[in-house]
Amino acid sequence: MKRLFAVTLGILTAIGGFVDIGDLVTNALVGSRFGLSLAWATVGGVVGICLYAEMSGRVAAVTGRGTFDLVRERLGPRFGLANLVASFLVTLLTFTAEIGGIALSIELVTSVNYLLWVPLVGLAAWLIMWRVKFSLLENAFGLVGLALVVFAVALWKLHPDWSGLVHQVVAPHKPHKEGLLPYFYYAIALFGAAMTPYEVFFFSSGGVEERWSAKDIITSRTNVFIGFPLGALLSLSIAAVAALTLLPRGIQVDSLGGVSLPVAVALGKIGLAIAILGFVAATFGAALETGLSCGYTVAQYFGWQWGKYVRPRDAARFHVIVLLSLIIAIGGVLTTVNPVTITEYSVVFSAIALPLTYFPILVISNDRDYMGDKVNGRISNTLATVFLGVIVVAAVAAIPLMLLTKAGQ
Amino acid sequence: MRASDLLGRPVLDASGTTLGRVIDLRCVQDGPLRGSMAAPSVHELIVSQRRVGSMLGYDRRDQQGPWLIRLIVRRLHRRLLVVPWEAVRLTEEGLVLTNRR
Amino acid sequence: MPAGRELDLQLHLLDRQVKGPDGRLICKVDDLELELDEAGRPYVTAILVGPRALGPRIGGRLGRWIVSIAERLATAEQASPPRIDFAHVTDIGSSIVLARNRSELSVTPLEEWVDHYVIARIPGSRHESE
Repeated sequence: MKRLFAVTLGILTAIGGFVDIGDLVTNALVGSRFGLSLAWATVGGVVGICLYAEMSGRVAAVTGRGTFDLVRERLGPRFGLANLVASFLVTLLTFTAEIGGIALSIELVTSVNYLLWVPLVGLAAWLIMWRVKFSLLENAFGLVGLALVVFAVALWKLHPDWSGLVHQVVAPHKPHKEGLLPYFYYAIALFGAAMTPYEVFFFSSGGVEERWSAKDIITSRTNVFIGFPLGALLSLSIAAVAALTLLPRGIQVDSLGGVSLPVAVALGKIGLAIAILGFVAATFGAALETGLSCGYTVAQYFGWQWGKYVRPRDAARFHVIVLLSLIIAIGGVLTTVNPVTITEYSVVFSAIALPLTYFPILVISNDRDYMGDKVNGRISNTLATVFLGVIVVAAVAAIPLMLLTKAGQ
Repeated sequence: MRASDLLGRPVLDASGTTLGRVIDLRCVQDGPLRGSMAAPSVHELIVSQRRVGSMLGYDRRDQQGPWLIRLIVRRLHRRLLVVPWEAVRLTEEGLVLTNRR
Repeated sequence: MPAGRELDLQLHLLDRQVKGPDGRLICKVDDLELELDEAGRPYVTAILVGPRALGPRIGGRLGRWIVSIAERLATAEQASPPRIDFAHVTDIGSSIVLARNRSELSVTPLEEWVDHYVIARIPGSRHESE
């Protein structure tokens, strides 16, 4: 019974924790411009993150080691450092976007300018990362994040033509007025929103924080293979409601208010309130994950003691990195650059940085010296290698497409 | 001396042609006893014509997947030489093969 | 054929995590110190730790820059990078396990500095998370 509870909790947390500011903004924006014709990119991204998270979860459970610890071992100090710098900067950018997202969400409720909330939000985030137990942190925000199910409810309430929606997903047809280049640019953005690198740093480091061992592989797999796809259904709901309410009216999403507009249309004030609660929980949870991941990556590369499972005084450098990252993230939001813009860039850069950590994890999860007999099976290996090809193509195409489309216009 | 002084060092044959660079030092734990363990001592140099990082472990185990990556890594490090330590001499230019066998 | 375990320095020792007897993380193997025996064969005498050990392995201008900054920050007695004598090693596996923990070695000066001047001054640093 206790086991069932733990498993359910894990799945629910994975669903609620799946969506972050990147998913909120990108899915709504894509829905309002392209309908569901890019749903395949979200689906692809979810399959990818499932593979990726399963491998790193298994690696963490069997080796008891974090991602960057192993990345440096396998790639050597020089490539490992290049990898670290790129991954750290992308994670820091995402952290900045999440802090901005929290502040924007609170602005939606209070109508007080988001910039005024930023320092308070930063302080709250730091206090939680400093004092609150890891499992409580993960579970609390994951569960409240389930409020985003309101998007699925809104979708149902809008009485869509279900067969028409399904047709758009399986036989995608790019809208006439949108160009082919922005279409593929946003495909990459959706990919990067679903397959964020920090998700994997956090997931595998979290496995070590929670002292996973080989017997926890099943729990980790259940969370991943059930939780993530259900979380992706939330992402698709966000795109679908935007497609149904905003696309016909030619309204493009360019703010967090725009993301919540379809829910307000479908379910009124109460739906809107629940959606905003979901926004706050999802972005806050993601801020904690990205903030801690800034610390995990650097500390693991250098071999420093890291983690919340020891007292702060025993992991001083780790906590200082987290604190410094938070200060930079706060500073980044306070430059008054639109957090939605920061978010749009962060998902594309996530897609670019993705192969850097995916590749070493793929190699290590095949290495019997580390994994014993828990290496990748033939089928998952083939699938994982195909995905490696896909994300390399996406990573290489991202910058040219960004320049050619001026970031999606 | 440090391990990093030997790793990456060029290996030259007697006429001065570069055969490759040292990418690893194969040791055996048969050195002087330090604490509870015998120190690893260098028996062989693993030399590769390419500098592309390490072999990522693909030289050690025959069947390590995924097969496509194994194929690519092995092609990049096409010719690995294993040179006994006794057969080289450390000089300014690198490790030079002597004619002792 | 000499008896004893076969190890490749790059594959099995360098860049591996070093842990204490309690499993706490200490550092990475940033480089290895070698000495020559009577036959002229190099053998491992110590693990080298820190930016002065890692810098040359990163190489290039960046590596030299890292080393010069670290040298400037080091005091006069610390003429060479911090070392952990190989005698302290008790196990070589997926990580290197030592018989001493971090407080008994003095190879992490940055940690001690940060702990003393920054972290210790923040309330709650002495306790486990709740």
